[in-house]
Amino acid sequence: MSSWPAETKYISHPTLRVDAVPKVTGRARYSSDTQANGWLYGMILRSKWPAAKILSVNLDKARQIPGIKAAVVARDGTFTVRFYGEEIAAVAGSTRQACLDALRAIEVKAEPRNEFAVNENEARKDDAPRVWEGRSNVAPGRSREHGNVDQAFGECAAIIEGFYTTPVQIHNPMETHGNTVSWTDEGVTAWSSTQGISSVRDGLAGALQLDQSKVRVITDFMGGGFGAKFGAGAEGALAAQLSREAKAPVRLMLTRFDQALAVGNRPSSFQRIKIGAKADGTLHAFEAENYGTAGIGAGADSGGGGGGADIPMPYLYPVPNSRVKQSHVAINAGSARAFRAPGNPPASYGMESAMDDLAVKLGMDPLEFRLKNDPNEVRQREYAIGAEKFDWKAKYQKPGSSSGPVKTGIGCAGAAWPAGGPSRSTQGEAQINPDGSVEFRLGVQDIGTGTKTVIAVVAAEMLGLKPEQITVKVGDTNFPPGPGSGGSTTCASVSPTVYDICQRGLQQLQKQTGIADARGKNWLAACKKLGVTPLVVHGNWIEGLSNRPAYGVQFAEVAVDTETGLVTVKKVVAVHDCGLIIDTLTLESQINGGVIMGMGYALYEERVMDDLSGVVLNPNFETYKLPGIADVPEIEIVLLNMPERGVIGIGEPATVPTAAAIGNAVANAIGVRVGSLPITPSKVLAALGKVPPAAIT
Amino acid sequence: MKSFAYATALSTDSARQLVADHGAYLAGGNDLLGLLKDYLISGPNILVNVKSLPGLNQIERGDKSWTIGALVTVAELERDPDIAKVFPGLHEAAMEIASPQIRNVATVGGNLAQHSRCWYFRQRDVSCLKKGGNLCYAREGDNRYHSLFSGNDCISPVVSSLGTTLAALDATAIVLRDGKETRLSMAELYRKAWTEPTAHHSLNPGDLILRVEIPTARTASAYLQVSDKHTFDWALVSCAAAANIAGGKLNQPRVALGSISPVPHQVEAANAFLDGKTLDDDIVSQAADLILKDARPLAHNAYKVPMAHALVRRTLLKLKS
Repeated sequence: MSSWPAETKYISHPTLRVDAVPKVTGRARYSSDTQANGWLYGMILRSKWPAAKILSVNLDKARQIPGIKAAVVARDGTFTVRFYGEEIAAVAGSTRQACLDALRAIEVKAEPRNEFAVNENEARKDDAPRVWEGRSNVAPGRSREHGNVDQAFGECAAIIEGFYTTPVQIHNPMETHGNTVSWTDEGVTAWSSTQGISSVRDGLAGALQLDQSKVRVITDFMGGGFGAKFGAGAEGALAAQLSREAKAPVRLMLTRFDQALAVGNRPSSFQRIKIGAKADGTLHAFEAENYGTAGIGAGADSGGGGGGADIPMPYLYPVPNSRVKQSHVAINAGSARAFRAPGNPPASYGMESAMDDLAVKLGMDPLEFRLKNDPNEVRQREYAIGAEKFDWKAKYQKPGSSSGPVKTGIGCAGAAWPAGGPSRSTQGEAQINPDGSVEFRLGVQDIGTGTKTVIAVVAAEMLGLKPEQITVKVGDTNFPPGPGSGGSTTCASVSPTVYDICQRGLQQLQKQTGIADARGKNWLAACKKLGVTPLVVHGNWIEGLSNRPAYGVQFAEVAVDTETGLVTVKKVVAVHDCGLIIDTLTLESQINGGVIMGMGYALYEERVMDDLSGVVLNPNFETYKLPGIADVPEIEIVLLNMPERGVIGIGEPATVPTAAAIGNAVANAIGVRVGSLPITPSKVLAALGKVPPAAIT
Repeated sequence: MKSFAYATALSTDSARQLVADHGAYLAGGNDLLGLLKDYLISGPNILVNVKSLPGLNQIERGDKSWTIGALVTVAELERDPDIAKVFPGLHEAAMEIASPQIRNVATVGGNLAQHSRCWYFRQRDVSCLKKGGNLCYAREGDNRYHSLFSGNDCISPVVSSLGTTLAALDATAIVLRDGKETRLSMAELYRKAWTEPTAHHSLNPGDLILRVEIPTARTASAYLQVSDKHTFDWALVSCAAAANIAGGKLNQPRVALGSISPVPHQVEAANAFLDGKTLDDDIVSQAADLILKDARPLAHNAYKVPMAHALVRRTLLKLKS
């Protein structure tokens, strides 16, 4: 079995991103920067109704707008739209303004349905308007029961019941969804903002009924996806159709407005949790009912899976007697897609909130309560390390007991991401040139997490070179196939593959040149001996170098202004493990990003639907609020390097516990639970009983 | 956006002529471009760039009053060390506006005249009362950001934090109207928004804010706001206060609140109550009671009542420092 070297020069050390300079200087060309020869702008006309029958779509006037080169309908004939923002038609033209004018010139005959449901609690009612004709909005629930729950609650010394809710969260990567697509007689080339070039290739080939060999997908630089960018999407297929009609490449990037409506989100959750423990603090009984919405369906086009509204319950902590019932509620809104650690952040918020509420009832320190009930040895270690860094013992006060109107509080929560681990089919190749230069080619893509750098670090380590001597090429379906960038799988897929390529390369070099060890100082001499023909070696993912899952714990300290309701996060200590660390610098970036995203989920983010009009009220960054730099606290990261476990991904676990830890810190500060994310000033004041009733109008 | 003509005016008279009946003045453009790009306003058929109008980018420091040109940027207000000394409340309000990039181009005139931020108004596919439709969706819908007070069916609140602060400072806007300079108090500048759902200020088409005049009579001023986020976010509630403090007693105190009414919310009874009082917890609390007495909270904005109460208390107490 293969193993990683015990002494390393680059692995587990900080290495600057190989593409740091082009990224910060703007020389990096992202998918949305693509300027293919003769390219046109593409735009989509979306439904302004939350539910309607589309009788006809007339594109004639749109085609007459100067500069418009193509116009297509999203679907032929009469069709039904089920959410505000569903695709109706698309146009391509030589200027943005021509496209905007054309969208307004499209004549849509529609029968809007006056009845629709955009709110989970309304949609659940028996007499609610149906999202899908002849089908209840509430999917048949799933129930699981272990042990004897009713009897077990009778044996508990303390029981709490809580209702914890989380909103629909929108992915909002920095770069919106979209592609430039060129469809010619030779086939299709798509420059895609995607986290899965292979899945986009296969999706486009399927949608356009082309051989997969006729579709090439390229992603040099892309600006994030968080799980919502595995497929080509409706926008990809429409861009292709426009390109065929216009006989020119079409760049169809979504706007921020489009992004809020139709390309995925994290489902909401409404968790009613009852949980009880014995007098010594041992969890004994658990009962939960959860529902949430994944929009019109569950996880459509998620590619990476996990777009549904179910969440793992009870989360992290084993309870011998448990009963869990879950169901989905359909509403007239865009479908969910996989979103960074699908199911886990809402599950963490519900369970960890209930844990703290129960600890308070038991009169136990919530950290002690966790240590008593969490069987995971890694998290046990992480709690111990984090508690010391955070100074938990000195900082912990009874809930609501700090003095003055601005109260401080602390909280913690644990993470898991059981689904990680490698994609075993990952492949790649390296071309070793006689001049000593070497190029690695893998059909993976760098979603922004530093995959190119990971490849360079592992290759440099194995070949005894410096990372800057390694040329890395990814993001092209012409390269050997790689995994999608999702589920915290990429690093664990790519690192062993590069290891294998390097081993094979060194073996082959030895065979061809007779130099026993071509690494390091012998590298150039060995390469020269190749003569005029470069050596190309192919490698695969191999056993023994990667693993799953990762854990992690986070601690948060907050200040809550009890007169204005404003929550300020003062500090987060994040203790994380991911087996063998490849690059500490990109790893810390991942954790910083996870904490900040979790903070947005805790305090700011929420898609707001309007019951009366059925529209999304906040399809922009003005009212869909994201953390700004002034909101971000000091984040202290503690890394547990565990080389013996092999390489593990970190993307998901880093964001899982943040919202729960912050929510617990708020409850500890003010002495009452805000049981609903985001924790806005309005909700804090309401929890404190300070909000008067509405005037009767 | 719809097509329009574009012209640069070099004098206020020509600006007025160019803008005619259906044009719009362009200064910082932050608000205007948003309205145009989302097709939220009918017209305009011409944008008249007023950035080159002479004399409107000056801050003039007089003994009895200062005048601030309408083209002075929010960043200039924020950075001027004398403003921070003479009108600290104005400095504090400028600091809270949007982001540094926006403050660099946003002007005093544009901030005062900016349109509603109501998310129903800003939603391109909702035809609400403010856009000339039949219904205020916010009344029955999600009104978390809306007014506690309104004289009409529209509950979109004023969001100009400069308007709120200038109201507390008893400033006057000098407006070019019908070829003459017209003086409007802040109450007058917004009065029409109180009664007319489609209005967000009292300016007529073609009116141009030239400058604001701020009396120096009040040596103490302060501004506070609370938003969901710590920066670059609209105020949920904002509060400005100004007064003279002599021998510990308030003289000519004024308090104004933003984001809770279509106009800067001012209650003369509260100002009168505070006149001659010494600031303490009890007095500021009574003043806040008076200011919020007639609030009509809706389903989702009642939290603004305790928030505004706290801000009134804190802003007044801040006058002492």
